[in-house]
Amino acid sequence: MVGVKMATAAAASIRERQTVALKRMLNFNVPHVKNSTGEPVWKVLIYDRFGQDIISPLLSVKELRDMGITLHLLLHSDRDPIPDVPAVYFVMPTEENIDRMCQDLRNQLYESYYLNFISAISRSKLEDIANAALAASAVTQVAKVFDQYLNFITLEDDMFVLCNQNKELVSYRAINRPDITDTEMETVMDTIVDSLFCFFVTLGAVPIIRCSRGTAAEMVAVKLDKKLRENLRDARNSLFTGDTLGAGQFSFQRPLLVLVDRNIDLATPLHHTWTYQALVHDVLDFHLNRVNLEESSGVENSPAGARPKRKNKKSYDLTPVDKFWQKHKGSPFPEVAESVQQELESYRAQEDEVKRLKSIMGLEGEDEGAISMLSDNTAKLTSAVSSLPELLEKKRLIDLHTNVATAVLEHIKARKLDVYFEYEEKIMSKTTLDKSLLDIISDPDAGTPEDKMRLFLIYYISAQQAPSEADLEQYKKALTDAGCNLNPLQYIKQWKAFAKMASAPASYGNTTTKPMGLLSRVMNTGSQFVMEGVKNLVLKQQNLPVTRILDNLMEMKSNPETDDYRYFDPKMLRGNDSSVPRNKNPFQEAIVFVVGGGNYIEYQNLVDYIKGKQGKHILYGCSELFNATQFIKQVKCTLVVCFL
Amino acid sequence: MAVDITLLFRASVKTVKTRNKALGVAVGGGADGSRDELFRRSPRPKSDFSSRAREVISHIGKLRDFLLEHRKDYINAYSHIMSEYGRMTDTERDQIDQDAQTFMRTCSEAIQQLRTQAHKEIHSQQVKEHRSAVLDFIEDYLKRVCKLYSEQRAIRVKRVVDKKRLSKLEPEPRTKTRESVSSEKVSRDPSQDSEEKSVTEEYPEKVPAESQPELGTWGDGKGEDELSPEEIQMFEQENQRLIGEMNSLFDEVRQIEGRVVEISRLQEIFTEKVLQQEAEIDSIHQLVVGATENIKEGNEDIREAIKNNAGFRVWVLFFLVMCSFSLLFLDWGLCLAPEVVHRLATAGSSPAASRPTLPAFCHQPCLPLP
Repeated sequence: MVGVKMATAAAASIRERQTVALKRMLNFNVPHVKNSTGEPVWKVLIYDRFGQDIISPLLSVKELRDMGITLHLLLHSDRDPIPDVPAVYFVMPTEENIDRMCQDLRNQLYESYYLNFISAISRSKLEDIANAALAASAVTQVAKVFDQYLNFITLEDDMFVLCNQNKELVSYRAINRPDITDTEMETVMDTIVDSLFCFFVTLGAVPIIRCSRGTAAEMVAVKLDKKLRENLRDARNSLFTGDTLGAGQFSFQRPLLVLVDRNIDLATPLHHTWTYQALVHDVLDFHLNRVNLEESSGVENSPAGARPKRKNKKSYDLTPVDKFWQKHKGSPFPEVAESVQQELESYRAQEDEVKRLKSIMGLEGEDEGAISMLSDNTAKLTSAVSSLPELLEKKRLIDLHTNVATAVLEHIKARKLDVYFEYEEKIMSKTTLDKSLLDIISDPDAGTPEDKMRLFLIYYISAQQAPSEADLEQYKKALTDAGCNLNPLQYIKQWKAFAKMASAPASYGNTTTKPMGLLSRVMNTGSQFVMEGVKNLVLKQQNLPVTRILDNLMEMKSNPETDDYRYFDPKMLRGNDSSVPRNKNPFQEAIVFVVGGGNYIEYQNLVDYIKGKQGKHILYGCSELFNATQFIKQVKCTLVVCFL
Repeated sequence: MAVDITLLFRASVKTVKTRNKALGVAVGGGADGSRDELFRRSPRPKSDFSSRAREVISHIGKLRDFLLEHRKDYINAYSHIMSEYGRMTDTERDQIDQDAQTFMRTCSEAIQQLRTQAHKEIHSQQVKEHRSAVLDFIEDYLKRVCKLYSEQRAIRVKRVVDKKRLSKLEPEPRTKTRESVSSEKVSRDPSQDSEEKSVTEEYPEKVPAESQPELGTWGDGKGEDELSPEEIQMFEQENQRLIGEMNSLFDEVRQIEGRVVEISRLQEIFTEKVLQQEAEIDSIHQLVVGATENIKEGNEDIREAIKNNAGFRVWVLFFLVMCSFSLLFLDWGLCLAPEVVHRLATAGSSPAASRPTLPAFCHQPCLPLP
């Protein structure tokens, strides 16, 4: 029993682990203990852009302050000497960073230096630093040097991305370009494998790897297996043994790593979505858990001759502290609107109560003989005053979500995204279509040209046989009339041809969507979210291809799709890749990694899938996170290069 | 998990050193370097600010240690029953309170001084930010230590209140304990009420006890026996009445104490908030004052302008009137002037001279020139 408990604890969120590791690093690599009467220790944090991306979703500025950080600065900015302060560096070991650090050492900017490298630093670069330290006679000032192995960005409790800064390097386009050379491919693979390796070091477990054959995922798997194996063999420096492992050591079960390639399923990134988080990502500017909104400062028409209204830019952080977000990020949009209303109501009720107390106190102050009532009210007043900060926080969150949801709703109404969503669901589940595709494409006020392109591509991808030439011409003409660029279509054609050769096209399972009665819901809510003309669609559970693959592999089901997946076990002594899995038990933990890019729709699907299973955990990772717009852009560029 | 490669780093430092020595490159190491290093180390300005900040921190640390050391004794409720060591009188507790308060005051003053000084010296933006953050940390530390102190005090007050309550609920066992305790040093019973009460309790008890022998000494006879029960009853009634009175008084006092404690807590919260808003209110006040002044000046200017406008108008009217009069006068003058001149000239010579013909143009009406 203890073993099983430990196993579930080992799947404790990757976010916690990374946060703990960061906090320990900030505490001079000594485990952080909360001491309420401890003396303050102050320090300065220096990071580069990679470090910034890693830290910003995890620790807020206030938390940095609590850890004693007075200033946090970019490595390549102008920094003034601040005497008598230890400096904590958190950078990638690249050439420019090393040079800049050597410069800092020469200029004697700080009192002592704690160097932390995001991924392992090579011996030669270490010697460069040693050289500079010697030249500046600052060797004693370099107090500690650490390899942190934190080269990945955690966005949610169970979701991570590889990188944000240089994502062109590992983007879908980079991997699938027709003109890529071997060396470039090697570099890309190395970057991916390095990050995955850091991820497993932080997780503290050695996984069993399964991947499909003949794809980029296979290359990643081979390299990762090799790297893990080398590290395990090296008993002296192994990162996976000893007390660095923690709870993961005691689990009898090792996690399963499923490496899939983006090319398995190109329809999901193009899909229009209906859940809150995915919608925000699709429609607004949202990355690294921060959403940037452009707010216009009024809805009424400005009088003639007035200056045009300035648009305010606002950005909000959607963090794990935000309970509303955590609860509703996977819910369908109408539910979200209702919940915001409910929260607003409850907040107003609490506010009224506090106001009522104020009036009671005012009355009682004049009445001398009501001392007994007074004591009761002081207690009430104390509780009300102490609950004020909570109320203020709640109000801020409600405002935030109201703004975000309103922005999303505007987009939905302008582009008629609900129509697209319903239609695409129907296409993907191969139910009968009530409206012909041509009608929707030629409809001038339903969606941007991009939306129409997406719809058509999904139709093309999920059609069993390619539509006939005449039909295709018709569609093409309609699309060009609507203003779309036809490059992505060419690419998808190529891809489909290739995919057909490799394996049967993925099917999307059965699903139905029921539009609820328009009027009933709209009249009931009576809220500011007047969802007139927006259908209230209920999502039914469907399994995307990635989820299905995971299901097969985790439960050891036999399925023609996944049976010929390769099997790697870095802990085995003989490194031969047998296709026969040694382990016959279903896995308790799984990590799904999509090489070439992922999105929130898949993530949500996996979360929903695993909710139904007790005691199992899934982590979702991808080399980069893009929404449909960015994906189409990449696909367009891929094609252009091809024709050169 | 992070890997400590400090040792690796030191090893590479050694490697680099030996390599440079082998290559004969004078890096910065060598004799010069070591001298340089010493030279650079000693006048390295141990910044004034940070050394003083550390001083303040060590002071606060001392305060904290002092409080923690005596915490156990301070809180100890049964010190009057305990043995010699580990005991603390109330005077000692008050002394500790006083000391702690003065200490805290000096510390906060020191922090304020540091703050003003740090802002006076002109440094780069980053250093300024860093210093203010450091001062914030120190203040926070002081606050935490003060919280220790106020917790202790709150516990002490609570214990006192509880003690009162306990002593009120059990009068008999208390008197017994009192007798046993009175053999020791005088107990620190702060509740005067219960003392009085117990004294009055004892007194009626003692009085009947005394009155018995007294009555016994005086006289004998049945009358005395019948009187004493009555007296006893009377005294008992008086007892009860006094007890009731004291009880109610005591209840009220306790309630008021509880309420005062709550009110003081509320006060604390409110003062904090008010102080926070003080700065904002100050700035708003400044703005409002500035605005009022501006408006006043504006009014003045408008008045001036009106006056000027009026004056200007007067002048314009005057000018126009003068112009028109001058025109009229000129015209009239021009018309009449030659006649007058001629008349004057021929007045002496021939009055009979016929009327001279006026120049032709004089007959024409004085039309304004085009």
